[in-house]
Amino acid sequence: MAKIKKKRVGFVIDMTPLVDITFLLLTFFMFTAKFKSQAESEQKFVIKRPVSTPVDTAGMPDKDIAIIKIAIDSATTDTTYFYEMVNEQDRAQVWGRMENFPPEYMDKHQIMVNQKMLDELILNTRLVRPETKFAIDADKGLRFKWIADAMELLRKNRATIFNYVTDKKQ
Amino acid sequence: MAGGGSLKIERSKRGKSGKRKKKKRVGFVLDMTPLVDITFLLLTFFMFTTTMAAPQVMEMSIPPEIVKQVEVRKSELFQIYVRNDNKVFYAKGTDDPQEIKLKDLRALAERENLQPNVKNRLITSLKISDEASYGTVISILDELNLAESKITEEITKENDEAGNPKKRERRFTIAPLLEEDILKIGEL
Repeated sequence: MAKIKKKRVGFVIDMTPLVDITFLLLTFFMFTAKFKSQAESEQKFVIKRPVSTPVDTAGMPDKDIAIIKIAIDSATTDTTYFYEMVNEQDRAQVWGRMENFPPEYMDKHQIMVNQKMLDELILNTRLVRPETKFAIDADKGLRFKWIADAMELLRKNRATIFNYVTDKKQ
Repeated sequence: MAGGGSLKIERSKRGKSGKRKKKKRVGFVLDMTPLVDITFLLLTFFMFTTTMAAPQVMEMSIPPEIVKQVEVRKSELFQIYVRNDNKVFYAKGTDDPQEIKLKDLRALAERENLQPNVKNRLITSLKISDEASYGTVISILDELNLAESKITEEITKENDEAGNPKKRERRFTIAPLLEEDILKIGEL
């Protein structure tokens, strides 16, 4: 005798464990998600950072930090300095103190600068808040000259302790 | 749905008694499909937009602008050169520079820093050509930082005169590659 295949009508699966685990993962990813800052969304280039051995205590500080980015601009394909400040009040003050500052830069979070402007920016940042931390975020393929020049400007403005931004070595 | 049957029984009971009793729902089922749908949608969104590898930082301190010249004994000097083509050389004191592979640098730094006569006094000076790549420089700094943990461990094992463990004093400087250095490492 052949078994008759029963057709199950209106069967129900208990989805509770599925919902449990999904919610757990969802809340995890929601809380760990960090949204792009405005400066990052204005950015038109990608920095391939050099890698270094991961150190537990070396997370990127997210308060009162000024980042000097050195990257290849996608529009001109030239290497250029970019300056970015995280603290909004400080940024408004520093931008306001600049001489001959292009007006279209005023409401930008990340600006393209030359060495002369960078020097002035570092000086003003130091004057507004002396404890601001500086970080150099540069592409690993760049000639060291670019970084050495930025370091020289930091040294000139007596910001002798700063950070290099790197990616974790896998 | 499965819940339908049980609800029906409840209702018929209520009809008989006439009085409205506080009903107790037994085994009722909630259709969770829409909930699961939307939760999965959000979950996939957050999963794909999250980047796990946050950048980290490497702290660096450079000497301030030179006000007065510091006297340095040649024997306490350990120099590392980085040439245009990213090749690394090292020289101890007044010795001639020798080429070194990046992966051997850590062992070398540990060995040199723990030499009994210059222990804790050795000055590491990193001289980098303007044409060298930034990635190489970071790799070298990373290796030197890694060497530091063993050096610190060895030095703190010893005690000073007062009986306290000795403190590691790291002396490090970064400098541009000079003409004379280029001449020294040029033909190697």
